[in-house]
Amino acid sequence: MGLRENLQTEPVSELPLRPVVTIAADRTVRQAVESMQAEHIGCAVIVDDQQKPIGTFTENELVLLLDDCGTGVLNEPVGNHVSPAWAHVTETEPIARLLDEMQTRNVRFVVVCDEQGRARALSGQKGLMEYISEHFSRVVAVQRVDTPEYPESREGA
Amino acid sequence: MSDFTPQQPTADEFKDPLANYEPFVYEDPLERAIGEEPVGTIRHEPFTTIMPSTPIRVAVDLLAGLEIACLMVTDEDNHLLGVFTHRDVLDKVALNFDNLQESPLSDVMTTEAISVHESDSVAAALCVMAVGGYRHVPVLDENEQVVGIVGPQRLTEFLQEKFQQLA
Repeated sequence: MGLRENLQTEPVSELPLRPVVTIAADRTVRQAVESMQAEHIGCAVIVDDQQKPIGTFTENELVLLLDDCGTGVLNEPVGNHVSPAWAHVTETEPIARLLDEMQTRNVRFVVVCDEQGRARALSGQKGLMEYISEHFSRVVAVQRVDTPEYPESREGA
Repeated sequence: MSDFTPQQPTADEFKDPLANYEPFVYEDPLERAIGEEPVGTIRHEPFTTIMPSTPIRVAVDLLAGLEIACLMVTDEDNHLLGVFTHRDVLDKVALNFDNLQESPLSDVMTTEAISVHESDSVAAALCVMAVGGYRHVPVLDENEQVVGIVGPQRLTEFLQEKFQQLA
């Protein structure tokens, strides 16, 4: 099947999924940033005591906060600075639904939940690009990138 | 002086050097589009450039005000020196912002940015994102000057246009 059909039929669990960084709402922004730094990921998922997501805190919120308030905001509860729009899907839903959520809500990250609604993983733009490139590995994996447009010296004699 | 006289093959002796050439066969039109259409056909504007001497607080203010995730750092001739992204803010700036905000952007920008040329194929941009792991891919012209930027959102728009064209 082609990419279009696979997006409609394959589940989110087929995407490359990232380990989710979760944090309680009463933790500080600083703690969220430190967790995100440690896991090299741009999103922390704010969860309740049952590990169910109630929002996200992303690099975007961090930039806006620093611009507005400086580092004073780092000691505030992260629950006060939840992303205005965030998205979640279950791992059994089709990938097209994740894509639709990303575009409709204009978000970069999507929280992937299990059937009980608990945050299980993170996906989004990067995972989608990897999934798409796997469909076209014959033309994508062979690319040489970051080479000059023209060779700096002649080859041969 | 050599007495060598090249011998021309006869019509029966001539062997076509391309006799064994097998052109690449695309599995579907979308693969062909990704393999052959240039990056320049993906929407790569608007984009924002900034000088490396700019104070970090100005760069953060630009990211916030323009609601973008990447600034391309260029010299006076619009040649790419690096990028400054949301990830740089998270990793290098956030926890020390008060001390860093007047420092030049060159102290914290990412210098090893991978770029593509507008004549490269869409597959090259996808390779940088998916294989290289870079979300933002600067686009250069043949003079190595910045002419745009592509990312997952713009590439997804390109694919959706192709879905509609090829439906």
